[in-house]
Amino acid sequence: MVLTVLIIVFSFILNLFLPWWSIAIPGLILGYLFEPKTVKAFGFGFLALFILWGGQAWYIHIANGGILTSRIAEMMGISTPFLMILITGVIGGLVSGLATLTGAFYSNRNNFTSKKA
Amino acid sequence: MRYLKTGLSAIVLLGVIFVLNTKMGSIPPIGKFFNPNAGFWGNAETSTPKSFDLKLDGLKDKVTIYFDERRVPHIFAENDYDLYFAQGYITAQDRLFQMEIQVYDASGRLTEIGGKVALEKDKKTRRLGMSHGAEISLSEMEKDPKSKQALDAYTDGVNTYISNLSKADYPLEYKILDIAPERWTNLKTAHLLKTMTKMLAGGNNDVAMSNVTQFLGNDFVEKVFNTRPTLQDPIIPPSRKWDFNAFKVQKPDSIFNPTISSDINEFERFEGIGSNNWAVSGSKTKSGYPILANDPHLGLTLPSIWYEIQLHAPGINTYGVSIQGVPGIIIGYNENIAWGVTNVAADVMDWYEIKFKDDTKKEYWHDNKWKSTSFRVEKYKIPGEESVIDTVVYTHHGPVTELKSYVNPESEPIYHALRWIAHEPSTEITTFYKLNRAKNYDEYVEALSYFVAPAQNFAFASNEGDIALWVNGKFPNKWEYQGRTVSDGTNPLYDWQAWIPHEHNPHVKNPERGFVSSANQYSAAEDYPYYLGEDYASFERGRRINDRLAELSDITVKDMQDLQLDNFSYLAETILPDMLKWIKKNELNEIELKWLDLLSDWDYYNEAELYEPTVFDAWWGLFNRSLYADAYSKTDAPLRIPPRDRLIDFLKDGSISQLFSTSKISESELLASLATSSYKKALDRLFTIFDEDSDEWLWGYYLENDISHLANIPGLSELGVFTSGSYESVNANYGGHGPSWRMVVEVGPEVKGYGVYPGGPSGNPGSSNYTEMLEGWRTGKLFELNFFKKEPETYNYKIQINNK
Repeated sequence: MVLTVLIIVFSFILNLFLPWWSIAIPGLILGYLFEPKTVKAFGFGFLALFILWGGQAWYIHIANGGILTSRIAEMMGISTPFLMILITGVIGGLVSGLATLTGAFYSNRNNFTSKKA
Repeated sequence: MRYLKTGLSAIVLLGVIFVLNTKMGSIPPIGKFFNPNAGFWGNAETSTPKSFDLKLDGLKDKVTIYFDERRVPHIFAENDYDLYFAQGYITAQDRLFQMEIQVYDASGRLTEIGGKVALEKDKKTRRLGMSHGAEISLSEMEKDPKSKQALDAYTDGVNTYISNLSKADYPLEYKILDIAPERWTNLKTAHLLKTMTKMLAGGNNDVAMSNVTQFLGNDFVEKVFNTRPTLQDPIIPPSRKWDFNAFKVQKPDSIFNPTISSDINEFERFEGIGSNNWAVSGSKTKSGYPILANDPHLGLTLPSIWYEIQLHAPGINTYGVSIQGVPGIIIGYNENIAWGVTNVAADVMDWYEIKFKDDTKKEYWHDNKWKSTSFRVEKYKIPGEESVIDTVVYTHHGPVTELKSYVNPESEPIYHALRWIAHEPSTEITTFYKLNRAKNYDEYVEALSYFVAPAQNFAFASNEGDIALWVNGKFPNKWEYQGRTVSDGTNPLYDWQAWIPHEHNPHVKNPERGFVSSANQYSAAEDYPYYLGEDYASFERGRRINDRLAELSDITVKDMQDLQLDNFSYLAETILPDMLKWIKKNELNEIELKWLDLLSDWDYYNEAELYEPTVFDAWWGLFNRSLYADAYSKTDAPLRIPPRDRLIDFLKDGSISQLFSTSKISESELLASLATSSYKKALDRLFTIFDEDSDEWLWGYYLENDISHLANIPGLSELGVFTSGSYESVNANYGGHGPSWRMVVEVGPEVKGYGVYPGGPSGNPGSSNYTEMLEGWRTGKLFELNFFKKEPETYNYKIQINNK
């Protein structure tokens, strides 16, 4: 879980200044350093950005009274505006999960594990 | 294994990022777009705006912009440059996308955003010579140093805003379309002014009218189009005498018969809805001071067409609505005068059939000699594709469009050159610069003399007690009916030979009746010595306004607001009792009889929550068409529709049968049969679409008031706004057209203004302010306008701008 929390913190900071795909960077580095196993790597990485992006979107949705969420949902042909928040979380999660996995694969532990398998 | 796994995983990761970072068709790059910081979420307004300080390059002094509770900006500057700089800056902050998309449209550059699908639309825009006109106008506008300074300052303000803008702060539409803002230029402002001309004076029926002449004959034209309709009540009261000698122009001996072409060009003018304005003198008002009202009717959009603003600097204090992209205020008032505009439907757009010497199109025949053309190469940039090049040929008339022959599409193409007021050098910026500062009638007239197009009926009221109305713009001096049909491009008598001197434009000051008004109808009575065209709005709004203003006394601001919201159907009152008389009741079924009874009890008000206006509209629509259907069935060539007013004349004097080829049946039988069949058909259609018990066909929904987003992006529009009114009511709501700004101003020692438009200052769909006034507009509320004489002590928030 420490991994998830750290990814959240660093992704949040990087995403303030850098393009959106910078959220892959913490996963890559921390995945390498923490050496989680395959499933956990993806899972913790995914969870981090799902919480971060989904949470940010949810906060904005509430503070904005849902005005923009429903307009964009209508634009995209999505019937439930709340799905927009979920989609935001999943997109962030997918990128971060894959990044953490890549970092973890590069680390020795997964290398070793895979050899054993 | 380690490298293989890492490699595969990395490839998947990069692939996902690449896909989410790429625009797919109309879908924005998903990762970028959903990013909660810089994506669309970043445009959601999560708190109300607060005051802040700014340091900007380029200002001469300090500027403060105060925002009131509706977030209308009030600019207080120390000099003209800073004033227009701040107007540009703050307009860009609220409406940047709107400014830009309108320029892309006006300059035929939509392909750069929308790709190849926009190519045909862009080509049409450029063949109209929009940029040609904008360039000519700009060089003229920049000759006036004050006008040039205002343009430069405004442009600097917009560009300062853009250069301080981070990607995360781009307006929502930029993120949806995945584009970036471009630098503003004075030429873009000129394009926006041309857009107004295109919108308001960019229609004509030349081809359709030529076809009427050729297929239906001169008799038909004489009867239907050449007679002034009985119910028309002109803008300048008929009591006005013309005490000048009009300049005459030479007319050709016979009228040119053009080759019939198949394409009806897209500039066809429809019998649509227009605008209202009026001013009542102090003799008719409760306070003893004049009151002015204006509601320009346009295609309604979000963000709104207008941007409300106050401009205050030494020598100027004015309030009203501006067009984003253009310095100054277009409709509004200052401490001394108020003014408002409606469109003049004069004919200032003519097509000329051109005879080229050969296929090179280098020479054309005019005035008994071959004259040289010029070429303008138009380049269309398309993202990811090769640019398209199109060469437009110009004659002295204007740009040439190629059409196909109607008779035989395989035969030689036909060439039409366009002579259009939008190609004239024009100085509207000077008009508004001076009008915004004008103190009295004389200064108002002087300001108007600089205005070229689109011609407007400028109503005026001053705290000196004057009211006035000028039919204002630059009008070609034409012989009667010149340019109504396609003109002979070889004969100089068809050229615009001269201009009507400004002082000869129809105008009136302090008429005896105590009011001036306009609703796009005929400019003046038939004794006005110049020909301005004959395709004006139908009688209803103009007549209703004049009737009401004549009746009213002790007029208050409230009375004027009520008149703006008047839903009376003059059309129904005029013709429905007759239609009810003509219909053959014995041929109607139970449901048809029921609705007929309801219609006969209707009080002729187009109220949203009634069904009767829907039934009448559907019935009249079909009945109206059936009156000329027989005559118009002779050809499928596009024909100009007879004016509603003339058809009413024929109905009223019992002569509608002259429009029919069969003379076997009597007038009364004809009317009975047309009224009955159109009524049955109307109800049948209505109840095919709607369930009789549903409220979907209540008038307020049936008139389909959709306020669409400018770029038609789904979700950013407000569709089906439930409103009263109709195209022929003073409250002219119909099919997404309507009062784009309602304003009532009482001048006097303390000028008081009221206004509303269907939207809000903010152009951000992620802000509640985007549609803040929509409900007020819908229900007929006007907000009291905060016109500050000096910097206010109470305000919502402010931006304090200092030089860097």
